[in-house]
Amino acid sequence: MSQSLPAGLRRVLRRELRQIRSRPKLMFMLLPFPVLLMGLLALIFAPGLPRNLPIAVLDLDNTTLSRQAIRMVDATPDLQVAMRVTDLAQGRDALVRGQVYGVVMIPEHMQRDLLSGRRPELVTLYNNQLLTIGGIVSRSTQAAFANFGAGAAAIALVSNGTVPEAARKAIRPIPVQQTPLFNPALDYVHFLLAALMPAVLQIFISASAALVLARDVQHVNGPGRLRTLGGGSAIRTLVGKLLPYACAYLVTMLVADAIMFGAYGSPFNGSLLLHLTYTVLFVLAGLSLGALFALIAKDTIGALGMTGVMTGPAFGFAGISFPRLTMNTFAWAWGGLIPLTPYLQLRTDQALRGTPVELSMPTLGWLALQALIYGALAVLLLRRSASPTSHEARP
Amino acid sequence: MIRFLAAMADALTRLFADKGARMTMIVSILIYACLYPQPYAGEVVRDIPIAVIDQDGSTASRAFLRRLDSSDSVAIAAVVDAMPQAERMYFARDVFGIVLIPDNFERDLLAGDPAPIAAFGDGSYFVLYGGLTTAVNSVAQELGGQVRFARLTATGADQATAAALVSPISIASVPLFNPTGGYASYLVPAAFVLILQQTLLMGIGIMHAGRPTRPGVARLATPTAYVLLYLMWIGATQILLPRIYGLPTLGDPLTLFALSLPFLIAVTAMGFALIQVINTREGVVFFLVVQGMPLFFVSGVAWPLESIAEPMRTLMLLFPSTSAVLAFIQIDQMGADLHQILPALRLQGILAVIYGALAIVLHRWRHPRAG
Repeated sequence: MSQSLPAGLRRVLRRELRQIRSRPKLMFMLLPFPVLLMGLLALIFAPGLPRNLPIAVLDLDNTTLSRQAIRMVDATPDLQVAMRVTDLAQGRDALVRGQVYGVVMIPEHMQRDLLSGRRPELVTLYNNQLLTIGGIVSRSTQAAFANFGAGAAAIALVSNGTVPEAARKAIRPIPVQQTPLFNPALDYVHFLLAALMPAVLQIFISASAALVLARDVQHVNGPGRLRTLGGGSAIRTLVGKLLPYACAYLVTMLVADAIMFGAYGSPFNGSLLLHLTYTVLFVLAGLSLGALFALIAKDTIGALGMTGVMTGPAFGFAGISFPRLTMNTFAWAWGGLIPLTPYLQLRTDQALRGTPVELSMPTLGWLALQALIYGALAVLLLRRSASPTSHEARP
Repeated sequence: MIRFLAAMADALTRLFADKGARMTMIVSILIYACLYPQPYAGEVVRDIPIAVIDQDGSTASRAFLRRLDSSDSVAIAAVVDAMPQAERMYFARDVFGIVLIPDNFERDLLAGDPAPIAAFGDGSYFVLYGGLTTAVNSVAQELGGQVRFARLTATGADQATAAALVSPISIASVPLFNPTGGYASYLVPAAFVLILQQTLLMGIGIMHAGRPTRPGVARLATPTAYVLLYLMWIGATQILLPRIYGLPTLGDPLTLFALSLPFLIAVTAMGFALIQVINTREGVVFFLVVQGMPLFFVSGVAWPLESIAEPMRTLMLLFPSTSAVLAFIQIDQMGADLHQILPALRLQGILAVIYGALAIVLHRWRHPRAG
């Protein structure tokens, strides 16, 4: 251990390392467990994109053209015709049972109506309760039917003599070139897993600080003893106490990054220095937040409970799945208090978008401010609860 | 029987007297009930701010943009001259998409040539990307269809022929359940199944980890009391809460409780097995507090179960929530009857037996004399 560290900080740090060593179960949960969980999450999302979602088909027409339409739906990478049903009730039953995510229905006389120009209606019933999955089913069937309409159906109309050949020109007058900026493959791994891993790690980071500090300060003269050990300085005490966890979680964050940018080949388009800076700040802000909860609750269960309430639903407030710009004022402000929110914004900026560094500076300041405020409040609370007057105030 | 009821009352009294258990099994659920739905209170995304570049500056391009602006999901926040300006606004998060109408848009359109336009959506936020592309595509289709129809009729085709060729078929997509596509309806009922599981497990850890088992009738009365308390919570979070937030429910309460009972027994048994493995209060709570999120993502709501690689999928079924979350949704949001969720119901029963046996075996093994 470096001799350049202040003596008080070194004493607290040495004691913390001793305690970690003496409790192997706790050590497992604080250190290898998060890495294990990151690996599990990575495995869950390994397929990248949902493929071959099962759907049911109700073909009341049963003609060459209806079979062609169904083949075109089945051929989309997102969907797979998993069952054929004979009436709508059967299709609905399969949907409620969760066997399929959608039912494609082709009406009676579809081919006849199509050829006589009577525009038959092709219907998809999809499970919108599962919003993401339902959205994929709806989009993919619509695209497949649109292709069917512009291709096979139009050809049939012409060859049937319903419309003249010349009229086939420019089937789609305004083609839309859709380009997803900065996530060209629209890959869920780059989007969801990249946000999920830091969200879970934030719970670990804050909960660890809350747990280990609360264990010390839950006794009446715990804060005082801890601060004396730190040579009277609340700052040195907290730094010494939390330094092992800061290092461990920084490594864990980098392991998670290695999975994303290494194993999964996620793009990184920004500044590496900035990425490291906000990663460090994220870990510090999370630890400070946990320490603050420990000093407010002054018992392990209460501190962990507060951490759970703040960091558990953090993913929803961070605006990855449901954007922050649509949230109400309360949700917007509450999300602003959580370190994950600016962290994920910075991460999206730098990893996916390649935002110019100067445009990321306000967000970086926001994250730094969180670390500073939570840290300062924790120092202040430790100083207050370790001062002699507070001992008298407590029973 | 009276001794059993007294022991149950005693178990609940102890729960209320313990600050940690009270906070976890009562207060935190109330806090989650207020807090969790907040981000999704808006339900759907409206008026995503976008930047537009109109290089054509024609009647047709202006008509296109006017229609786009009046669509529900998109609002034009800025009209700029060139791509670099638009990109800068995008990087600064002032806009979340860019639409470009190139030169000669009107000329090509009127000449019957393809008149493409470009939409740059935000690939880093899927909801925003989907909102923009849907809006742009529907405007393009609508306007394109009108132009084509006009051209076909002008060249001598009768109206019916023109209409049939512009769109030979009509396509309808009908959302069953959650018809407005609300985000709260999608996430809140599912999340609370998980919140109840995690708080119940934590509560058991807080009350019993590292403490001697209470003798006699309390051994069975205590878990029964917890199951009853949480049946009340099921009612509050699955029936009352959706009504408070105005989320659609179709479920039959009896069916709901028929699933809840084996689910809560399985969770309670799992809790008592868990404290034999992790024997400190804070150890149990820490172990559980970090699991909520990952468990949510393997429950089949946010991510299709079919897309989870096989050894993982089966492994995750060991957590009661993995199969229960979807079953609760099927009953409460999709109106399933017991018959339609039989596999999940059976699995909850099996888990209850496995964890119950495990709790007893582990307890005997760790406390040979008590057995």
